[in-house]
Amino acid sequence: MYGRSASQLLKEQASCESGQLAVFNNEAFDQVIKECGEHHLQLESLFRKLMEKNVDIQTTRNGGEHLGAFIHHHSLLRNKRCLMAYTQNRAEIIRSLRWQLGPVLPQEIKAKLSYSEEVYFVNHSAAMESYMSEMDIDLTVDMVPPKSRSVRVKVLDDIGEVCVGDHSISLTKHSLHSLSRTDAEPFISQGLMEEVSE
Amino acid sequence: MPGYYDMDDILMEDEPISVVFQVGAHGCGLLDPGSETNDIEKGTKMDLPYWLAHQLHLRQAVSISVPASFSQKTKKEIQADAACVDLKGRCPYFYELGCKIAPLVGDKTIGTFLLYAFTDRYKEILSKSHSGPAVPRISSRLTKEESQLFEAARSSMAAFKKWRTGGSRLEKASILGRKRKRTIPLGPSSP
Repeated sequence: MYGRSASQLLKEQASCESGQLAVFNNEAFDQVIKECGEHHLQLESLFRKLMEKNVDIQTTRNGGEHLGAFIHHHSLLRNKRCLMAYTQNRAEIIRSLRWQLGPVLPQEIKAKLSYSEEVYFVNHSAAMESYMSEMDIDLTVDMVPPKSRSVRVKVLDDIGEVCVGDHSISLTKHSLHSLSRTDAEPFISQGLMEEVSE
Repeated sequence: MPGYYDMDDILMEDEPISVVFQVGAHGCGLLDPGSETNDIEKGTKMDLPYWLAHQLHLRQAVSISVPASFSQKTKKEIQADAACVDLKGRCPYFYELGCKIAPLVGDKTIGTFLLYAFTDRYKEILSKSHSGPAVPRISSRLTKEESQLFEAARSSMAAFKKWRTGGSRLEKASILGRKRKRTIPLGPSSP
């Protein structure tokens, strides 16, 4: 109560390195919402008592049930702030996922998201796709200014046959290729390839 | 200035502050974990998180005393040798909390004290961040604000070194983490 569970929730997210996601803590989230319900019930009962007493507001402004109601009210505001900050900070990271990893999330990241966050990612991704296809430009390539047109890469995972430009390449593990930057960038970002120096 | 969604601001406001209730409160007994009734008596002394203490202070329902992190004892320790004082253990949000608490307790010396402590510790942070071991002893004594500075210096130093040596510029996405699930050991490591 009184914001303690909400702080636990936030501390868990804050203890990850910046830009990393913890698993969405459904239990703690629901616990905070339940506590909000309890604060609300307490508020209602205190207001009822005040109405029954029918006292002059000016004289008793500063004590008794008023103060109790005040504390419950601010606990509610605090819980709200914590929950919103939790979802907002996670949403920021999820938005950046589209830029880093492309439209399909790897399983290990998907497992950390709640259902609504997955839907959020899909919608955000679709919005970006529709913009990029209308402009006919892929905004997620060349995230660092390019120095050369092609890069030498070593494949780290079996990817199989991939269409590159006008021909297809078989990307097997430990094979070396020379690809154009734009083609190689998404694979490197997902950790499936790495750049090797000459 | 920190906003509504800023995590550091929210966690900073969670720091406990010792208050004395000037009026009694009814219907919120659980605030004090040790209390048996649902009321708080006038004159009760307890620790409240900053966000609640601040609001109650504005209503003049509590009086706030100077927290231990800003007491004379800490001031003397900092004046002796600022870089050795474990501020992380005492108060991880030392500077932020000090700035917010100063008008509430009416202590005008907290401002200059914070500035002195920061400038003194900054010399150590600066020198240790640009060279030295990966995790120096000082990092266990730094407040949140100082740690952020330290990390920023570390990462910009690493980025500079990488640029000098011409390392690869296309990288795996940071969110995927450093470890990958592997059953077969890899060949030679990446540059």
